[in-house]
Amino acid sequence: MRRLAGGLLVAAATLALPAVLDDSALAVYILLGLAAMVTVGVSLLMGYAGQVSLGQGAFYAIGAYTAALLALGGVPPLAGLIAAPLVAAASALVIGTPLLRLRGHHLAFATLAMQLILLSVAGQMEFTGGDIGLQAIPQFGIGSWEMSSAAAYAYLTWAGVALVMLVTYNVSTSRPGRALRALATSETAAASSGIPVGRYKLAVFALSAAFAGLAGSIYCFYTGYVAPGSFPVLISIQYIVMAVVGGLGTIWGAVVGATAITLLVQGLNIVGALPGMPTYAPSVLSYAVYALVLILVVLFLPQGLLPALTRRLPSRVRARS
Amino acid sequence: MSAFLSYLLNGLAVGCAIALIASGLVVIHRVTGVVNFAQGTFAVVAGLCASSLLGMGLPHGLSEVAAVLAGAVAGLLTGLAAIGRRGTSPLSALIVTLGVGVLAYAVEIVLWGDQPRSAPGLAGSVTIAGARIQTQHLLVICVTAATFVLIALFFGRTYLGKALTACASNPYAARVVGIDTRRMGLLAFAIGGLLGGLAGVLITPLRPISFDTDVTLIVNGFAAAVFGALTRPVITLIGALLLGVAETMAAGYGYGSHQLEVALGLMILVMIVQASRRSTIHEETV
Repeated sequence: MRRLAGGLLVAAATLALPAVLDDSALAVYILLGLAAMVTVGVSLLMGYAGQVSLGQGAFYAIGAYTAALLALGGVPPLAGLIAAPLVAAASALVIGTPLLRLRGHHLAFATLAMQLILLSVAGQMEFTGGDIGLQAIPQFGIGSWEMSSAAAYAYLTWAGVALVMLVTYNVSTSRPGRALRALATSETAAASSGIPVGRYKLAVFALSAAFAGLAGSIYCFYTGYVAPGSFPVLISIQYIVMAVVGGLGTIWGAVVGATAITLLVQGLNIVGALPGMPTYAPSVLSYAVYALVLILVVLFLPQGLLPALTRRLPSRVRARS
Repeated sequence: MSAFLSYLLNGLAVGCAIALIASGLVVIHRVTGVVNFAQGTFAVVAGLCASSLLGMGLPHGLSEVAAVLAGAVAGLLTGLAAIGRRGTSPLSALIVTLGVGVLAYAVEIVLWGDQPRSAPGLAGSVTIAGARIQTQHLLVICVTAATFVLIALFFGRTYLGKALTACASNPYAARVVGIDTRRMGLLAFAIGGLLGGLAGVLITPLRPISFDTDVTLIVNGFAAAVFGALTRPVITLIGALLLGVAETMAAGYGYGSHQLEVALGLMILVMIVQASRRSTIHEETV
């Protein structure tokens, strides 16, 4: 009962925020939602299935480029929004078939390599606009209605987050979800109890790619511009940081992690832009924060922020009664 | 023919630099089981140090040695973060070294700015069988050869080197005979930093280095190290030389823009072939 009330409260706050925020705060709010969407996928992949991907930004990029190319080609934006996660998932199936034979640090480097190759190809191809990228992407809209206010994009983004969380919740409580947790601990044991290890790993890889693709398509409609420079390797590391900070394998943890890191970096950006600070201050501060938070959480809070907090709460309640 | 020969020698020099970074990865992975993502960072730190020290007017030789030592200190600090706390699993340690690499970005931008920097190396060039080759390239090849001989002697002939090898082959047995495996792990990180620093000092005169050069360096180094399954130095050296020659040939014969894809694609291919020849059970118990 308390959990339901808590969930409703969070949902109400999420819906109320776009009405009260100004445009610059809304931009942060939208980017936060997009990051949360990708991070839920990373958390599912790393926390439940035990597979490390350092290239999740690649699927974000694939989603953004798919939606951008379709929209520029005159296809209705809604079709682009639906196609982006599908294309991202399909490319994950193709890439994952050979790559997911790898484990641990091999997989980490292979996914990183995949993103570097993709960025390099996108920077050289004619149809992706090379290093300059694609510009003047039309606004999102359905039929003759065009989405032009930032608040509308915020609602679209957080509807996406809710969808992604719902899908993840259903997957994680289902039979395949338990199978994923089993194969994360030992693939041999999972295979010998009849779990199709390869197929499940591939499916969860594709699902997390679809989440990233959906986020990427909303990003491209919102900013109206995509280029290889929008998807650096650091963005993939950022998703890992958010997932680890929030707590791997927890759905709410991914959202908490994305919120904590985005707000922290945003706060430091404001500090870094104060008069008297050197010009490099914002980038230095954000690098330092990503790094320190990642190191400290991995070493001292390996289960993440959310599980550590929730474990502390009941014990205090117990002590009082 | 002379163009081919000069590409070959240049490629060998590039491969040697990769080999130094890769051998640092191998030393650290053998002893601690950790894949050190910050290996490219050591090279960047040492390269930037060398350019600063030379810019301050310190003589050649002294500046380079100091820069390499800075690389070793960076290695030791990374080691303290990655394995200093007991019970850190190798995969957690990989993520910690990733964090160290990003933290180094912040430090490097504060100290050296975000523009690429270079350092003067050996000037001039020599002509071998009609092919012109820069003296600095020859220096890279000679230093790498000497380093590999020294490493082989260190691991094969000295007590400390044998203790490190013992940790690599069986950490439990090494602890039983009284070897402090954690201290040996830190030593391995320092040696890894030394090797990375050496690579950085050697390549800074050849191509300018900036704070984010480490991604290219670590990816190439890792690609070479997977040839030797991250444990065998000699195969790693061969892999690095092949990679260096292949990249330089690709650039020389007009496919320069696809250099990175060639290296990365090769690395993924090697890993997949290796994975298909290993059983899951073996990997999960190791």
